[in-house]
Amino acid sequence: MVSNEKRPAGLGHGKGPGRRAQFTALPYLLILPLVAVIGILALYPTYVTLSQSFFRVDPLDPPERFIGLENYAKLFADPAVSNAWGNTAYYAVFGVTLTVLVGLGIALALRYPFRGRGLVLACVVLPWALPGVVEGIIWDWIYNPSFGVLNSILSSLHVIAQYQVWISESRLVSIFFISVVQVWQTAPLAALLILASLQNIPEEVRDAGSLDGVNRLQELWYITLPLIRPGLAIAMVQSVIASLNIFDQVYVLNGNAPTGASVVMQTYLTAFQNLNFGQGYALSFLLTSLTMGISVIVLRLVYRKVDF
Amino acid sequence: MDCLLVHHWFDHESRKANLMWEGAFRSLAAGALVGAMLLSGAAVTRAHTNAALPFAGQTITVAWAGPPPPKADLDRFTAQTGAKVQWVTLGWDALQTKITAAVQAHAYFADVTDVDWSRVGQYYLLKWFVPLNKYFDLSTLKDVPQLSSFIYNGQLVGMPADSSFTVTTINTAMLKKAGITTLPATFAEYTTDLKQLQAKGVSAHPLDIPLQAAEGLSTYWYQVTAAMGGTMLDKAHKPLFTNPNSAGYKALAWIVNAYKTGLVPKANITMLDGQAQQGEMALGRVASVFSDYSGNVGSLYNIPGQSKVINQVRYLPIPGVKGTAPNLGNPDGMGIPMTARNVAAGAAFIKWFDDAHNQALWSGLNGSKDVIVGFTLPMRLSSLEMLIKANKIQQGDLLLSMLEHHAQAAFPTGIPPWYNQFSAAVNTNIHSAALGSESVQAAAQAIAQTVNSLQ
Repeated sequence: MVSNEKRPAGLGHGKGPGRRAQFTALPYLLILPLVAVIGILALYPTYVTLSQSFFRVDPLDPPERFIGLENYAKLFADPAVSNAWGNTAYYAVFGVTLTVLVGLGIALALRYPFRGRGLVLACVVLPWALPGVVEGIIWDWIYNPSFGVLNSILSSLHVIAQYQVWISESRLVSIFFISVVQVWQTAPLAALLILASLQNIPEEVRDAGSLDGVNRLQELWYITLPLIRPGLAIAMVQSVIASLNIFDQVYVLNGNAPTGASVVMQTYLTAFQNLNFGQGYALSFLLTSLTMGISVIVLRLVYRKVDF
Repeated sequence: MDCLLVHHWFDHESRKANLMWEGAFRSLAAGALVGAMLLSGAAVTRAHTNAALPFAGQTITVAWAGPPPPKADLDRFTAQTGAKVQWVTLGWDALQTKITAAVQAHAYFADVTDVDWSRVGQYYLLKWFVPLNKYFDLSTLKDVPQLSSFIYNGQLVGMPADSSFTVTTINTAMLKKAGITTLPATFAEYTTDLKQLQAKGVSAHPLDIPLQAAEGLSTYWYQVTAAMGGTMLDKAHKPLFTNPNSAGYKALAWIVNAYKTGLVPKANITMLDGQAQQGEMALGRVASVFSDYSGNVGSLYNIPGQSKVINQVRYLPIPGVKGTAPNLGNPDGMGIPMTARNVAAGAAFIKWFDDAHNQALWSGLNGSKDVIVGFTLPMRLSSLEMLIKANKIQQGDLLLSMLEHHAQAAFPTGIPPWYNQFSAAVNTNIHSAALGSESVQAAAQAIAQTVNSLQ
């Protein structure tokens, strides 16, 4: 049922051997408006970003002039940028792992209908609908070292002896807790994607497994997970994109502090604070390229076509 | 016969119906005619009235890092000028980003927006704001003490929107509880009093310093440096804070030490200045803000619903190492970005906002109903005098004296055009030093390195 074959796209299905497939333009015409929108809103800005990254674009140092790879060279030599790359790698590891695990857990819990499932689903999806800044403000109060809910609960349960500063003090701890906020936002989408794949699995497959005597864990590992690879792959790609491009939560929870600064935060500081737009373009393009590259790798490793 | 009767009946009913419709139509037509006459009359009246209003039909967008004046006041502006005001409130840091992004991209976002004192030099060089010289006669603005902060090479880049300067605030009720009977006059006395507040159990963490890596922390350091008797940069904008005996270094060390020894609440490591003032000083969790903002007593600490320390907080002349230290001016101004659509209407709004009576109103001349929450002090001395005369401002004489005689620019030798990078280096390194990620010396060196690289 899990196939490694790739069906050629764009051709109609032949009805028998030796019969030539007919080319139809209709699918291409139908997606043309979307392609135009993507072209204007995504491809053109990407082109401008790339081309401007080879120029010195600094209003305090006019005029704009071609400088080749100088922006990129300076970025690679900048310790603040290196720090941001390191932080972003941690965000990606924490973010993707937690998003997929939490999303999978939610999807498995909501797989079968039960009373109130619709309401539960709506509540689960709610964090996804909130802007990142709003979530950052909510969790800022939860994490507050003086009167936050987290400290209060952990102190009541005697898990901690005194109230803690969760963000700012330690790099890894700060990144972890900021990632939790983002996972709160991205896990619902992952859950929906995985749930869609779960619901595509025919009951007969599960029944066949039961007849063969598999337990729940074995069913999950050998049957369920392989069959939901399409949903898992898309959920992982979404999470990779969100984690690598994290900004709102970092800005609200940690300000300009280098402890948890992400690459997007560094891009913001470079462009809007230092007014060095050329380097900002370069950093932005590097991040975009990396995001695309990792997404393709994840898809290649995880995605498999599934037929029932 | 029956057919004829039916036909006759039908014919009669038809005529009746026709008459009914005709009557209805006539009534409707008459009503429509009267309505049209009334409407056109109103339109003529409105057009006549609007013709007298210079900006009738225009809507100006004001993007500001604070709440708007009361609606009734904005309606007054509309009634006087014809221009409607659309107010957009943004966080201060976010607003600076918006200004940069919009003006650099030549995109419209507002007709009037913030011109911070720290960016005047930069905006002048970048030509991002409309020079206001033709709209304001500088010779008539003698009662605006902080006007010079917004003039660069003779060009008026923005008009002051308030008279913000840094000032120490202290909770006198807490001092009394701790047995402190006289207000501290020197820096040493101030620090001693804080420790006594802590030792007596009146306040576990009596000092507020906003230690999140943001502009508020930079401003705090500038004020403490001034209290230590010095400044951050020399005339050539070279660093003056790398020597451990320098005022800037001592200020940095004092801030870091205050956090590490528990004088400052742990939570402050993640707090912005406004958050700390509203969430700690106003709620009685701390006893003092060394570098608070002028006007906070009247517009925050004494406002019911916002504060739990009403009538407990007072201003204190900055306790310096050798007595009263200078207060540092940090006013916000209003300016018109180059991308504005309604320049003249924007200038009219700024004039209205800077009107002496309006400024006094928003500072509490008519009580809390006209107050803009968080509004510091009026930008005109005449407004301040109105408030003092009406007994509507606590310690008005002290504030007036500070403004006239003790307030000075944060950078007496001029604000460097690379101020943004400097401030970022300041607040990120002080934040890191407070966390213990780097030593005070390393932080000072890192800030100095940034300054030297920007020369």
